[in-house]
Amino acid sequence: MNIKISALMLGVMYLGVPFFLGDNDYLIGLVASALIIAGVAVAWALLGNLGGMVSFGHAAFFGVGAYTSAVLTMDYGVPVFVALVVGGVGASLSSIFMMPALRLRGPYFALAILAYAEIFKILATEATGLTGGAGGLLSIPSLPVFAGVDFGTKLGGYIVILNIVTLMLITYYFIRRSSYGLALKAMHDSELATRIVGVPATYLKVVMLLVSAFMTGAVGAFNAHYINFLEPDYAFSGTWTVFPIVAAIFGGYRTLSGPVLGALFIYLVDQLVFKNLIPQGHQLILGVMLAGMIILSPSGLLPVITNLFTRKKADNKRGEAQHA
Amino acid sequence: MKYLLETEKLSAGYGAMEVFWDLSLTFEAGRTTTIVGPNGAGKSTFLKTLMGLIEPRAGDIRFKGQSYVKEPTWNRINDGLVMIPEGRLLFSDLSVEENLIMGAYPKKTRKSMEKNRDHVFQLFPRLKERRNQEAGTLSGGEAQMLAIGRGLMEEPEICLVDEPSLGLSPVMTNEIFSIFRELKEDKMTIVLVEQNTNQALKIADHVYLMQAGKVTLSEPREAVDLQRLEDLYFARTA
Repeated sequence: MNIKISALMLGVMYLGVPFFLGDNDYLIGLVASALIIAGVAVAWALLGNLGGMVSFGHAAFFGVGAYTSAVLTMDYGVPVFVALVVGGVGASLSSIFMMPALRLRGPYFALAILAYAEIFKILATEATGLTGGAGGLLSIPSLPVFAGVDFGTKLGGYIVILNIVTLMLITYYFIRRSSYGLALKAMHDSELATRIVGVPATYLKVVMLLVSAFMTGAVGAFNAHYINFLEPDYAFSGTWTVFPIVAAIFGGYRTLSGPVLGALFIYLVDQLVFKNLIPQGHQLILGVMLAGMIILSPSGLLPVITNLFTRKKADNKRGEAQHA
Repeated sequence: MKYLLETEKLSAGYGAMEVFWDLSLTFEAGRTTTIVGPNGAGKSTFLKTLMGLIEPRAGDIRFKGQSYVKEPTWNRINDGLVMIPEGRLLFSDLSVEENLIMGAYPKKTRKSMEKNRDHVFQLFPRLKERRNQEAGTLSGGEAQMLAIGRGLMEEPEICLVDEPSLGLSPVMTNEIFSIFRELKEDKMTIVLVEQNTNQALKIADHVYLMQAGKVTLSEPREAVDLQRLEDLYFARTA
């Protein structure tokens, strides 16, 4: 069921959105921004759901990925698509510094990683030679023309971020299905018990952190080339942590496509509806919506949709049985 | 190599507290060794130290003649040193079958997972009936069966069993011990920690009595006099 919904969602994103919104730069840009949030939300949910680690520090990976890619393309002439991947690698490397925090659990891990994120923001502000400091980096190269397609346009960028998010979902799916996925699920139950059956628990957590950081970094790098501008307060902003968390929890962070659906819903409703109603402080409503969702359906939006489908099916079957 | 597993002057503890000192025990291949003793004697801590879940303060652990003190737990398990822990420690949110699959996590056991699983189901038909049920919903006896089954999935050469009768009815305890008797007949090497001295002695080849971090008796089963053992156990004699 989950897979069917993911496939349906991706189908709409690949065919429906370009077809209906393709010539509206404003709207396609909004959906692309929502996908950037979605990308971070998937990476966050991967760590939170499979790894069992709630992170308040994903802004750090986002920022490091963005700066790595921007500096490499501007100062060293690295092709943009290569730099996106290296941006992810840079974020993974930065996560190595956070690994001592893996010894902590639950809220302590979350807070420690929040502190690490702040350190990276300060580093980016102070290392003026490399990052341009608080003044930021201007005219970061756009996505290039590749195989005859100009990815520098709003629509082109949309296709690229959609591909990135799709790849992330596929990776997530395969990790969850593998023996590591089961071991990670078992780890939530009892970490001691996993050690008794020979699971190297700490090592698995390290891998999950590296993967999640890589994904977030690559999305951050994409964002830098999409908006062509970076400054530390923006690239390391708490928004890149908070928005994805809200989206993932709203959509259902224990599901595969929940974080993506959540991000699309939250971001688009916020930008298209609430922003017009309350130009200042419209994010307030998001808080209310999240609280409402947690009360009504603690496991998020996706299970509600899934239930709707299955109930309909069950009703149909019952109907058929009565007719027969 | 005379012994499959042996310890030499092994000591371990938690924080400032020393739990056992200078333990030199030997375990022969194909035989069942029982460690009995009252609460707090250090029996469970000793098993955990053998598995590498607790780091020893001093001394050596040798498995098949190779020093094990520095090996991480998962290597020991992959070599065939397997523990069936006290209180089962199952994965209560996973199904019965998934619990067994987790037992086949060590690399060398993954290929034969299905064969081993069928063997476990043959040994415990009740687990087969409940294969898709969450482990958290099992009764105490079934949970212990699953813990044993999960241990067998790890393809043990030596099985460290910690208090398998804990919290079980006498009938269930008998059933669990009949399983160990079967394993013993299959030439499995078993180290059994038990408080149920009576049952434990019935299947033992060698008996250790542990009290307050020390071994106070080490005798082959035939030489053990239950009356004398219980006198020692309850410290009725000096």
